[in-house]
Amino acid sequence: MTRDATRRRVLAAGAVTLSLAAAGCRGLAALGTPPRAAPGVAVAGDAIAVEARLIAHYGAVLAAVPALAGTLRPLLAQHHDHLARLRSRLIIAPGSRASHPASPSASPPGGAPVLGSPAAALRYLRDAEDAAAAAQLAHLAAAPPSLAQLLASISASEATHALILDGHRRHR
Amino acid sequence: MTARPGAPGRAAVAALQAALAAENSAVYGYGVAGAHLAGARRAAAVRNWVAHQNARDTLTAMLGARGAEPVPAAAAYELPFAVHGAASAVSLAIVLEDRLSAAYLGLVGLSDPALRAFGARGVRAAALRAAAWRGSTLAFPGLDVPAPGQPGPATTGSGATAPASPPPGSPTPSQPGG
Repeated sequence: MTRDATRRRVLAAGAVTLSLAAAGCRGLAALGTPPRAAPGVAVAGDAIAVEARLIAHYGAVLAAVPALAGTLRPLLAQHHDHLARLRSRLIIAPGSRASHPASPSASPPGGAPVLGSPAAALRYLRDAEDAAAAAQLAHLAAAPPSLAQLLASISASEATHALILDGHRRHR
Repeated sequence: MTARPGAPGRAAVAALQAALAAENSAVYGYGVAGAHLAGARRAAAVRNWVAHQNARDTLTAMLGARGAEPVPAAAAYELPFAVHGAASAVSLAIVLEDRLSAAYLGLVGLSDPALRAFGARGVRAAALRAAAWRGSTLAFPGLDVPAPGQPGPATTGSGATAPASPPPGSPTPSQPGG
């Protein structure tokens, strides 16, 4: 009895193999449309790239002006929080661009920063925060609701970073 | 604009009412906080008080345009803690703004792009005012809000997060007596 059942399964498996082979003759399309990325994936990917660029900016400034570490480290830590929360929305393939936040391609906008003085460095990061806050809202309408809320929260956080950086700049 | 029945319209009205309630409690709360502040901090409290009155009027008009009845402010609100000095007044202002961040984030969760953008501006404005009072920032304004009286994860850098909105200890309308 069990042998019969096994045989039936083997025969059935053979039938599946045959139909797959037939499908192969007509190309992959016969197997159905491959799954497409959900609408939030591209938006989250863009947001991750924005965070990665900001983190690269902070890294460059911290290397050039170590005296600012006390001011910058708490803000940088929050960007790492942003990045982690955004990445938790995606399954990122190892080795993909999004999995390397501080890649050399994440160059500052408008060329190399002018980091001659702490005040200049603070102004540079303030502008980068403002730009990031705007960029995180660019695709707000396209995002699923919970991702839209996360982007709005991150954008607001970056606006407050700009405020704090400006305050430090003026007190110098 | 005409009233929009259906689930999206109802969700929008509910989110707008929540934002209005937060603005109403902020108007009341800044009245309390401002009385305990002096100098630049009092001036900031007055500025914010006016800003929240304007926001309340905007939300009232938006609800009216949707054919909804704006829920009026309560006569008095129960404060999350006793306010009898500058430090607790500042803490109250922070609680009010954190609560607003969460309320406006509710609008960002709607499908209407215009309401999303409006909500995002509200989150930003409240987060900026909260950061000015705190002197530090939050990683996720409106999403991860520290308990009242806590400076928040920003200062400690611990990355610890409190449960999502609404922030505990927000001013709540007092029960009418009798």
